[in-house]
Amino acid sequence: MKIIILGAGQVGGTLAENLAGEQNDITVVDTDGARLAELAERLDIGTVTGRGSYPAILRQAGAEDADMLIAVTNSDEVNMVACQVAYSLFRTPTKIARIRAAAYSQKEKLFGNDALPIDVIISPEQVVTDYIKRLIEHPGALQVVNFAGGRVQLVAVRAYHGGPLVGNAIRQLRKHMPNVDTRVAAIFRHNRALLPEGNTVIEADDEVFFIAARNDIRAVMSELRRLEHNYKRVVIAGGGNIGFRLAKSIETRYNVKIIERNEDRCQVLSEQLHHTVVMHGTGTDRDRLIKANIESADVFCALTNDDEANIMASLLAKRLGARKVMTLISNPAYVDLVQGRDIDIAISPQQATIGSLLTHVRRGDIVNVYSLRRGAAEAIEAVAHGDARSSKVVGKRIEDIDLPEGTNIGAIVRQEKVLIAHDHIVIEADDHVILFVMDRRRIRDVEKLFQVGFTFF
Amino acid sequence: MRVRELLAPERTHFNVQGVSKKRLLDQAAQLVANSCSGLTEQQVFDALVARERLGSTGIGEGIAIPHCRLATCQGPVALLLQLEQPIDFESIDNKPVDLVFVLLVPENNPEQHLKTLSHLAALFNEAGYREQLRSARSAEELFKRATSSEEELQLAS
Repeated sequence: MKIIILGAGQVGGTLAENLAGEQNDITVVDTDGARLAELAERLDIGTVTGRGSYPAILRQAGAEDADMLIAVTNSDEVNMVACQVAYSLFRTPTKIARIRAAAYSQKEKLFGNDALPIDVIISPEQVVTDYIKRLIEHPGALQVVNFAGGRVQLVAVRAYHGGPLVGNAIRQLRKHMPNVDTRVAAIFRHNRALLPEGNTVIEADDEVFFIAARNDIRAVMSELRRLEHNYKRVVIAGGGNIGFRLAKSIETRYNVKIIERNEDRCQVLSEQLHHTVVMHGTGTDRDRLIKANIESADVFCALTNDDEANIMASLLAKRLGARKVMTLISNPAYVDLVQGRDIDIAISPQQATIGSLLTHVRRGDIVNVYSLRRGAAEAIEAVAHGDARSSKVVGKRIEDIDLPEGTNIGAIVRQEKVLIAHDHIVIEADDHVILFVMDRRRIRDVEKLFQVGFTFF
Repeated sequence: MRVRELLAPERTHFNVQGVSKKRLLDQAAQLVANSCSGLTEQQVFDALVARERLGSTGIGEGIAIPHCRLATCQGPVALLLQLEQPIDFESIDNKPVDLVFVLLVPENNPEQHLKTLSHLAALFNEAGYREQLRSARSAEELFKRATSSEEELQLAS
C-alpha cells in the first residue's frame, strides 16, 4: 500500500517504523528537514520537506497514487486541510487525521464527504485516557483492551504465588470455574512467548494474556493472583489534556485529586471538574504529595508531558506509600528502564495510539488492532466475510482453519453473543473473530486469511 | 453473460497509463461513469476501492477483474483496459497487472452475476485469450479480440 504520513513527530515516526517493514510504500512529510533525514537514515521510506496541507507538497509526496493519507502533524488545522486537499484534488481513498481539540472532534456534523472529508479521526489523548481508565477499572491488570464494543476484553496480568491456578495446568481453569469461559491466548515467560495448550502449567511471574467476556474478567484474574480490592482513591499529577479527561471520566465513581502546576489551568480545571479536588503544585513536590494524602492513594497517575518529571513523581509517590503508580512515558528507552520495578505500569502514548492507526492500515475488514508488548505482538478483531467458497475461514471449524504459526483465535462475537473459541465452533459470515498474533511478522498471513476470494461481490 | 454482452468499443481502452492501483481505479471510475448514466465517478471509485480492501481482485498472470455491486447500476457493464506499463495490484501471485477488466453489476440477481464472474475468471485463465489481447495494437483490435474469441465459444459450449 502507498501511504503518506504527515508529521514526523512521535506518532508519525513510530507509525512509519511500524509500517515500513510491511511491504508498504511510505512517504513522510514534515517541515523539519533534519528530523526527516534522521528518520530516512533508519527506515526505508521516502521523505518530502514542506507543509503537508499544500497541494504541491502532497503531489510531490505521491498523493495521486496514495491509497491512504495519515495526517498527524501537531496542528489540527493542517491535518484537517490536508484531508480536504487529498479528497478534493486527489480522491485519496482513506484519510485519517489526528485532531486533538475536543472543540472540533466532538462536532460530528463537521465531518463527512460533504463537510470535512476525514474518514477516521484519531485523538491520541482520548485513546490514552481510555487506556488508563480501563487499567484503573481492572486492578492488577497490566493491559486491558476492548473488542466488539467492549463485550470482550483481552487482559494481561502477571501470575503471582497465591493465585489458585498458579502451578496448575491451564485446563484446570474449567474445573475451578465451571461457569466462566475464557481462553488463555498467550503466555510470556522471561520475555519468551509460549503458545499455551491445555497442559501448559502457569508459573508465578508469567505474563498471561487471556480473553473473556467483560463480566468474567474479574473471576479469571482471581485465578491468577490474589484479587486486589477495587481502587477508590486516585491522585493524578498533571492537569493537561489527558489528566483532565481522565479525571472527568472517573470523578463520579472514584475519589480523585489532581495536582497541576499552572495556576490558570487550575482555575479551568476546578470550573470543569465538579467532584475532583484540584491542587496547585507539582507531582515532584514531596509536601504536595503528602498533602494529597498520597499514603492512602490506591493509584497515582503521572500524566504530564514531561517523561522525567513523570518518572520522578512516580518514584516519589511510590516511596510515600501510593499502592500503584502508572506513568506516562514517551521515550521507549525509559520504559524498559523503569517498568515493573518501582513503576507498576508505564504507558507509552505512541504504543497506545499506534493500534488505532494500524486498524485502518491492515488489509481486510479489521475493526480493532492493538499493539502489545511494545509492538512485538498484536491482537486483532477481524470480520469474516463471504461464504465457504470465497472465504478461507467461513464455514470452517476453528480447529480446521489454517492459522499462521503463533496465532490463535481467542473468541468470536456473533451479533450480540460472545463465544469463547473452542475447536468445534464453525465460523459464520459476519462473525467478528478475535485473534492473538504473537509474532507481528505473521500479520500478513493473518490478513490473507481473512481476505475474501475473487468471487466475492 | 459473455464479454460481448458486457463490453462496448467506447469502453475498451488501449495503452492506458496505469501508474498505480489507486490511480487506475480512479481512471476506471471516470471512464465507466461517463458511459452509464446515474452513476457518479465517486460512487464507482468508492465501491471498487471498498471491494479491493477486502481482498485484491488481481487473479494472477497479469490479470485483474475489479468488480462491485451498485444499487443505481442499470445492468451489468464492463470496461477493458490494456496498460502501457504493468502495475502492482497486490495480486494473488504478486505479479504486476497489465490487463484490467472492470465489472459493475446491479444489486439484483446475485446468482447470475456470480456466474458471469466465474466465466470471466475462467476465460482470462486461458493463456490463449490473454495472448490474443496482449498482441492487440489498437483499441478496436482489442475490442474485437476480446469479444469474438475461440476460447469463449469453447467455454460456453
